Amino acid sequence: MNISVKEWFKSGSPWVWMNAGAVAISLIMVVGLLGLIAVRGLSHFWPADVVQGVYTLDGQPRTLAGEIVESNEVLTKQLIEAGMKLPEENEFSTRHLLKIGNRDVYGSDFAWALEHYFTEQHRPEMLLVAERREWGNLYGYLRSIKESGTEVARYDGNDKSAQYLALWDNLQQRIQRALEIHEDILEIEKHEIGTINYELERLRLKERGLQLKEVKEQSLYDAITQRRKELDADYEGLQQRLIDLYSEINRDSMTVEVAGGKIVDVQLAKLVRIFRPNDMNVGQKIVHYFAKLWEFVSDDPREANTEGGIFPAIFGTVMMVLLMSLLVTPFGVIAAVYLREYAKQGFVTRLIRIAVNNLAGVPSIVYGVFGLGFFVYFLGGNIDDLFFAAAKPSPTFGTPGLLWASLTLALLTVPVVIVATEEGLSRIPRAVREGSLALGATKFETLMKVVLPMASPAMMTGVILAIARAAGEVAPLMLVGVVKLAPSLPLDGNYPFIHLDQKFMHLGFHIYDVGFQSPNVEAARPLVYATALLLVLVIALLNMSAIAIRNHLREKYKALEM
Amino acid sequence: MTMEATKTHSIDISALQRQNQSLRLEDETIALTVRDLQLYYGEKRALHGVTMDIPKNRVTAFIGPSGCGKSTLLRCFNRMNDLVDSCRIEGQMALYGQNIYERGVDVADLRRRVGMVFQKPNPFPKSIYENVAYGLRIQGINKKRTIDETVEWALKSAALWDEVKDRLHESALGMSGGQQQRLVIARTIAVKPEVLLLDEPASALDPISTLKIEELINELKRDFTIVIVTHNMQQAARVSDYTAFMYMGDLIEFGVTDHLFTNPEKKQTEDYITGRYG
Repeated sequence: MNISVKEWFKSGSPWVWMNAGAVAISLIMVVGLLGLIAVRGLSHFWPADVVQGVYTLDGQPRTLAGEIVESNEVLTKQLIEAGMKLPEENEFSTRHLLKIGNRDVYGSDFAWALEHYFTEQHRPEMLLVAERREWGNLYGYLRSIKESGTEVARYDGNDKSAQYLALWDNLQQRIQRALEIHEDILEIEKHEIGTINYELERLRLKERGLQLKEVKEQSLYDAITQRRKELDADYEGLQQRLIDLYSEINRDSMTVEVAGGKIVDVQLAKLVRIFRPNDMNVGQKIVHYFAKLWEFVSDDPREANTEGGIFPAIFGTVMMVLLMSLLVTPFGVIAAVYLREYAKQGFVTRLIRIAVNNLAGVPSIVYGVFGLGFFVYFLGGNIDDLFFAAAKPSPTFGTPGLLWASLTLALLTVPVVIVATEEGLSRIPRAVREGSLALGATKFETLMKVVLPMASPAMMTGVILAIARAAGEVAPLMLVGVVKLAPSLPLDGNYPFIHLDQKFMHLGFHIYDVGFQSPNVEAARPLVYATALLLVLVIALLNMSAIAIRNHLREKYKALEM
Repeated sequence: MTMEATKTHSIDISALQRQNQSLRLEDETIALTVRDLQLYYGEKRALHGVTMDIPKNRVTAFIGPSGCGKSTLLRCFNRMNDLVDSCRIEGQMALYGQNIYERGVDVADLRRRVGMVFQKPNPFPKSIYENVAYGLRIQGINKKRTIDETVEWALKSAALWDEVKDRLHESALGMSGGQQQRLVIARTIAVKPEVLLLDEPASALDPISTLKIEELINELKRDFTIVIVTHNMQQAARVSDYTAFMYMGDLIEFGVTDHLFTNPEKKQTEDYITGRYG
């Protein structure tokens, strides 16, 4: 079985190995990328054990309690040079990053701790974690519950006695009550008052419009004033209910002893949930994990986007991509049909094709600048002048928004759709077109009834490529409509339901914002991974639905073997 | 000598023994007239002044070697050559006396009156039913009963009904090549054209499917004027009443099939049918 190197080369084996190697490397890179963001992102929601210990630095012991979020090895020499006293025999020393929470008490909620100084490490069962709407997590020991400022229950021990459990249950019930009231408040503030405000704004615009048109009929103005009075009355009623609800929700509070012995008073209205991670079994942790995960995909963000969910960003991304597809498909298809079917093939069409292909290579930020200059300022400004004069000087469409972002991305992806559609049209067998023409169909009828349906899988390929490109685009969006935090979704119950002029949130921009613009970098980092994972999933889902549609069409209009 | 030639080249004389042996072009009603037709592809002249009359309710075959212009001539009858950018036509061509190359002729309507079946079956990627109904729908006929009846009639006329009546709504692309070609014929006759142009309709088919198509042509000539282009001389002899022999863009000889095959007037025709070239 001796074969020379020359023969081995001739046999083609190295070529096969090279090909297989290239595929393997690509595969490893993709799996590695997804694996990394999945592990980093998804582990964030796991209720990790909380470690408590004594940290003695410079001879001053203090109690530390927190989750270990990261551990690494540092050169001991380096630390000694930095002025730490460490035994030199170990080349490396272990360092932990602890999430100690209690930002309101300590000033920052992360701390580095050297393993060498961190003694008496244990995981106390009674240590509770409270997720709050502000100031981040709270770690500590439950001491008492207060109702309207007076203590109603208290237990000072750190053991799992019946008395403690009663206190814990009592607290959980009160938190549940606070959460329900919070729901009501949100419902009133966001929806009911939001609807009233929306209608009041519309009334104001209507009145202003009448004034601008110099309508003199007093009855019209009276009707507006009348309706406004009604709305004001409704608003007053809701306001009163809100005041009542707020005093209700602020009734209860609890006191917690944090590591270091300080007693903190926390209003239950500010709590999202409380749990004792060290006392949970795996089943409970899994339940908790999925609850957190669900919160992440279904809730609004809190605390400058570093906590809570990213639902508005998912919604904004999907909506923008769908709107973009709706805009780009007819536009690209019609352009391709003209280029391929009607235009006389020659120098000019060749020039146009080259231009279209080059358009696909223009950096996306350039499209953003164009979108801002043309769509937002020119088109939007003129639309405002023509149709929304009443709202001026505040712009309606003359400001970045969902429509302009979708249009900009549609422009960005239109070359892809044109090229794919042209390709599809050119592959329709001549015989089929002639068959239709020979039956007395006009060129237009042939196009509509035979050629375009047969080319529809190719169009879908174009749309798939367009979605893949548009959904991942961030740079141009920053100029034409994406914001860090949008107060409301672009789709809601207020007429006309889809608000194309509104600004929206986007997963890609959210990653940038959380990763680079966040005031709390350590807290935000896992969210960067989680959001990235979600962005990939959303794009994959959008693409897969488009591919499913394409495969269905392909099956239906299976090309003839000619 | 000619009798010998036909024998040695095994032209099936029995196929020529049909009921109307005493055909005469002078007695026929003329469907299509061609007068001094010249066709250019750019600078190249593909047809050199063809003049002929195609009789109604008869099968006329065009034979000749590849590239002789027989398909090009056929495609002139329904103005399919309009689709070729560089194509230019001089001379006259008339359907029942009306010049089809006149300005203002509705090409779509002409093509409805002059149907065409191509070399390779080209069904649309639709159901069998929708393929046949296509031409009707194009004409704006949407009444389900009318369409149902016409589809059934057309499929029966194309001798396909019994094979497909249980799967009318399945894709036409699942049929065999021979069935597809008969479907295309059904689709074409569904719009009730006056003339049926067949461009080598059996060249992509197996012998049994070919036989079926030939039988079908014999049936269809009662209702339609048929013009068929074929490479296969036996086929021309079997199915046609009149035959035109073309060579290098010229119409060399045109006459009653029996006569042309047994007793050609031109040397070139004789050479071709005896297999000396082509």
